[in-house]
Amino acid sequence: MKNPLHPEKTSPAWLSADAIFTGLITALLLAVLAFFLLYPVIDICRLSFFKEGVFTFQNYVEYFSNPRIFRSFYNSMFVSAVTMAITTVLAFFFAYGLTRTTMPAKGIFYTISTFPLIAPTIIQALALILLFGRNGLITRYLLGTDWNIYGATGIIVGEVLYCFPNALFILYTTLSAVDTRLDEAAQSLGASSLKTFFKVTLPSAKYGIASAAALTFNLTITDFGIPVVIGGNYSVLATEIVNKVFGLQRFDLGATISVILLIPSITAFTINYYLTRKSYALISGQARPFLQPSRPFKKWAFTVYSALICACILLVFVTVFAGSFVRTWPYDFSLTLAHFDFPSLGASVPLWTSFWNSVLEPGSFRTMIAIKYAPIWTSLLVAIVVALVGASVTLVAAYIIEKKKPRGEQLLYSLSVLPAAIPGVVLGLGYVLAFNKPYFFIYGTIWIIIINVIIANFTLGVLSGTANLKQIDKSVEEAAVSLGAGPITAFTRIIFPLSRVAFLSTATFFFMRAMTTISAVLFLVSAQIKLAAIEIIFLDVDGRTASANAMCTVVVLIVALFLIIMRLTTGSSGLTGMSASK
Amino acid sequence: MGRDLRLENLTKRYGALTAVDHVNLDIEEGEFICFLGPSGCGKTTVLRMITGFETVTEGRIIFDNRVINDLLPKKREFGIVFQSYALFPNMTVEENIAFGLKMRKMPKKAIAERVGAMLELIGLSDWRGLYPAQLSGGQQQRVALVRALAPDPQVLLLDEPLSALDAKIRLRLRAEIKKLQQELKKTMIHVTHDQEEALSIADRVVVMEAGQFRQVGRPIEIYKNPACSFVADFVGTSNFFEGRRTGDAVIVGKRKIKVMQNGAAADEPVSLAIRPENVEVFKPETSLEVEEKMNVVSGRIDVVVFQGAAVRLLINMDGEEIITDIVEKEFEQRSLKQGDEVLLYFPPEAFLVFPKGGGEK
Repeated sequence: MKNPLHPEKTSPAWLSADAIFTGLITALLLAVLAFFLLYPVIDICRLSFFKEGVFTFQNYVEYFSNPRIFRSFYNSMFVSAVTMAITTVLAFFFAYGLTRTTMPAKGIFYTISTFPLIAPTIIQALALILLFGRNGLITRYLLGTDWNIYGATGIIVGEVLYCFPNALFILYTTLSAVDTRLDEAAQSLGASSLKTFFKVTLPSAKYGIASAAALTFNLTITDFGIPVVIGGNYSVLATEIVNKVFGLQRFDLGATISVILLIPSITAFTINYYLTRKSYALISGQARPFLQPSRPFKKWAFTVYSALICACILLVFVTVFAGSFVRTWPYDFSLTLAHFDFPSLGASVPLWTSFWNSVLEPGSFRTMIAIKYAPIWTSLLVAIVVALVGASVTLVAAYIIEKKKPRGEQLLYSLSVLPAAIPGVVLGLGYVLAFNKPYFFIYGTIWIIIINVIIANFTLGVLSGTANLKQIDKSVEEAAVSLGAGPITAFTRIIFPLSRVAFLSTATFFFMRAMTTISAVLFLVSAQIKLAAIEIIFLDVDGRTASANAMCTVVVLIVALFLIIMRLTTGSSGLTGMSASK
Repeated sequence: MGRDLRLENLTKRYGALTAVDHVNLDIEEGEFICFLGPSGCGKTTVLRMITGFETVTEGRIIFDNRVINDLLPKKREFGIVFQSYALFPNMTVEENIAFGLKMRKMPKKAIAERVGAMLELIGLSDWRGLYPAQLSGGQQQRVALVRALAPDPQVLLLDEPLSALDAKIRLRLRAEIKKLQQELKKTMIHVTHDQEEALSIADRVVVMEAGQFRQVGRPIEIYKNPACSFVADFVGTSNFFEGRRTGDAVIVGKRKIKVMQNGAAADEPVSLAIRPENVEVFKPETSLEVEEKMNVVSGRIDVVVFQGAAVRLLINMDGEEIITDIVEKEFEQRSLKQGDEVLLYFPPEAFLVFPKGGGEK
């Protein structure tokens, strides 16, 4: 008998070929994440501890010994804790109403509750100022009071409105997954409704509640958009970082505060991450969605409650929309489009300019569209590239992690999940520190912005990708291989088509984030390259509140239009499952 | 010698766990082999090593006189049918069947012809344009079967292909697979935990337990002459007695039972096995004409399970449960019913005697 091959070898050649292929992609992904995620963060730590090449705690001493600066730490913890408590309670009862009562219009309530996800976080602050600010419609015009909402109150109300859908998503999933028959069993054993709620419903949702709370804390403490607009003199860590860097050019202090901000934000994220997994692990496959009709009082109480919350969320949007179309809020309510004629702040994007020059007649309209709308076109371009590249890269990463499980898979997974724990402001500052060097040619171009947005939102892309791939039976791919397909063919012909829906919803998510993100890219925009969401802040800081509202309206409309197009063309997606909580 | 498949000392270890332990087998071209065993016995691991999806820790897989341990799965040209069908949900029935042919860069016309022939083979020609989700489980598995057969594989490997199907369809598809195998004369290796399926379909059955082959043989051999108590227990149903051998009898508790088979030396602990259909059941008043009076024991019918052609009786024999199957007609004639006191006769020649600890049960 011939024996051309060595039986001692324990790993077949094809496995090594496949392993090399997988290893290359793994190494590439690891290198990208190390360079664009770890390196900037490490650079921040380095800068905070070193002065002129010597290791020192001087920056930290300076931070903690200056009560005015140190105040920002306390403030951040305070608003985050209060926001966490309020949001979790509000979202829990909203989720309870959606899952455990037979109130009407659940679909409408749920849809409206997800609206905050499509807008820059700044929208809540803009709306609150229009309603309760120094010239607020309600405070000044209706009540004639001097009280206004700037400061901690404004931040908390704004953050509650912004965090609500994120917390709701976790609680909704938790409550709809817990078997309602447990409740029925408790009641059949003689427990009152109230007792059932406290002894059965609440305990069975405890991980979900804690994880929603941790997520809210994380989102609030890392947010920049709301505090910068409505915080006034009330400084929080995220705004303090920007202050130190933009105001004082103190990159070292900015880095120090970043490290301090990293501690609570990573802690909160870690708690959220583990509790979410724990909570979903409890989900029983036996859960039955069947609900007995609620008693009329319960039904209407929850209907009114949910309607009120939805009204608040809608009010934010309606106010900002209105604020962008009326001449002088709140004194002159005549309609105008003047606020959409954005002041030209010196940006130019030749590509778009020449395009509009070729299709539009010369005149003020062309100037407006070609020059003044430059940030919008740039945002749109960034968002489209981010959507396509981000969704593709995260799908490949998810495929490697879930199906190939190479050596270093755990590291790849950890690095993929890490971005959600890093506050956008910190990552953005890290990019400035790490990449603002003459030899780093993409710094100062839109590409660094695109990379930053993709990395900052890597987590959700990978998590939704792995969740989807888990549902694809391993034998489907093996069937393809046994029929003669190579690894690339198997991926492009089988895995990718089967991940289409996940791909599209991840792409939608990336698009939304790219259009609305503020904190991560704040440090990366320049006089040449502007983004629509960042312009909102600059316009607002510039005192052009109405134009800030108008820009915000444009951003929201673009995202909404994109969602509608996605829905019409693919029949899938929508906002469900797209919050930062996944 | 045709294109035979040979397993030599094939071993698979996962760390400290040995999933497959030095197994040897020669499979002739055109043979239908069934690996039978409880879950976790290593049967699927053997199959996956043959397919190439699992690495071999030790030993060799030889096909057509070549060691194929290191050969790419796609180069082995073995067809595989999976328990979960594993049809590509994004492709139609036709596209699924054509997939392997396209991968082999067959000309379009030839592919169309081959796909047509395959669809005819399973009688699903009218369903070619549908997607897998639009088919029933049985139809999906038929498509999966011809998808694997379309590229004319050297060997067809079936990994519990019928387990996910309803009982009725399972029986029909089982017969279809058997028929297909006889027509195509293709080597097929089938893995299952269903002993009835294995016995009815295979030319030879390999009974596996704890990573080892306990017995390899034709179905009837496996059933009639199980090599160890594990096989006697796993294949079909058996009543077991533990005892000690003395001459031509075995002492079981207080009783002495005569046996024919010489399974162990004198005075050794043995286990006795007897099939339910070999135990005879009589009413006490019947005058017995049996050879060995000492093999007659009294008991009481606890449970009567009607199974169609046969009736299964669970009989309490001094606290021990004995399973007997009798033909439905006899059950009628003897007018047996639950609670009846009965006499059981264990024919000495029907006993299988296994040395204790030989095949760990």
